[in-house]
Amino acid sequence: MLAAQHWFELLSQSPLGLYMQTSRWAFAVVEMVHLLAIAALGGSVLLIDLRLLGVILKGESAKSIGRDLGRILLGSLVVLIFSGIGLLSEESMKCYFSPAFRWKMALLASSIVFYFTLHRRALNRAGTASPGIRQRAIAVVSMLLWLGVGVAGRAIGLI
Amino acid sequence: MTQPVLQHICQVIYDSQIGTTIRESDYAFSIIESVHVLAITLLVGSISILDLRMLGLILREIPVTRVSRAVFPITWAGFAVMVTSGLLLFWAEAAKNYLNPAFRVKLLLLLLVGLNPLIFHTSIYRRVAEWELQHRSPWRARAAAIASLTLWSGIIVAGRAIAYF
Repeated sequence: MLAAQHWFELLSQSPLGLYMQTSRWAFAVVEMVHLLAIAALGGSVLLIDLRLLGVILKGESAKSIGRDLGRILLGSLVVLIFSGIGLLSEESMKCYFSPAFRWKMALLASSIVFYFTLHRRALNRAGTASPGIRQRAIAVVSMLLWLGVGVAGRAIGLI
Repeated sequence: MTQPVLQHICQVIYDSQIGTTIRESDYAFSIIESVHVLAITLLVGSISILDLRMLGLILREIPVTRVSRAVFPITWAGFAVMVTSGLLLFWAEAAKNYLNPAFRVKLLLLLLVGLNPLIFHTSIYRRVAEWELQHRSPWRARAAAIASLTLWSGIIVAGRAIAYF
């Protein structure tokens, strides 16, 4: 655990951390970028999972929808991680001790692993027929995991 | 002291029972604000997918009307929740919002973003059957898509900025 704490201290004392802590507008601007990427990620997750659930675009290939919207998802995820590091550097010690932050990181890691494994396989296998229980469950879990990341993220500022 | 009528109305809203309750509660404002952000994610996340389709960047093989039928229910649901939660937030902060430059910019952008679909649906979208299969939509549809992406991004930025003034 000490090792992890050490990295958080390094981040808060890094040039990035010092800049984020002293600049008047940097935090706000990075936060806005973070929010824009959340909208892009949320929209793509929702549409992919509604397709898996068989609610929208049933006749279209789930695989190609997953590929196209997956590009938006991964692109916004990259923006989220980089802007997230910027936000973290401004208050890294607070985050280190925040249960909400720890939940968020755990949920984020789960979401990413889930996306590249079970979720990816479900998208590749999904046909145009009515989806089975397994495929529906994967869609619901995916939506809940990403929503959980967002809710835990919001909670960092509140608790 | 005389005040502009609008400012007076904002003050009355601010001082009302409901406004005061939301403002003085420990969690009400934060919870409504979180719901507001989630609703904006639904709205902007879904409509931007239609915008990107018209620009020819994603889902090119799917006709525009199929994409719009898939996203519109999500967009409208997000819109309804966004407006409701937004009004509650305004109720609690009306007198402060009145003077807030970011709030004024946001209202202006909301007005413009409302005009965009009005123009779009009464012009180029009327003939959507002629171009819905094209991988890249006609320039007027692309212009509407760029306007939508830009304005909604501006609304998110201005909305976040309200808290910093």
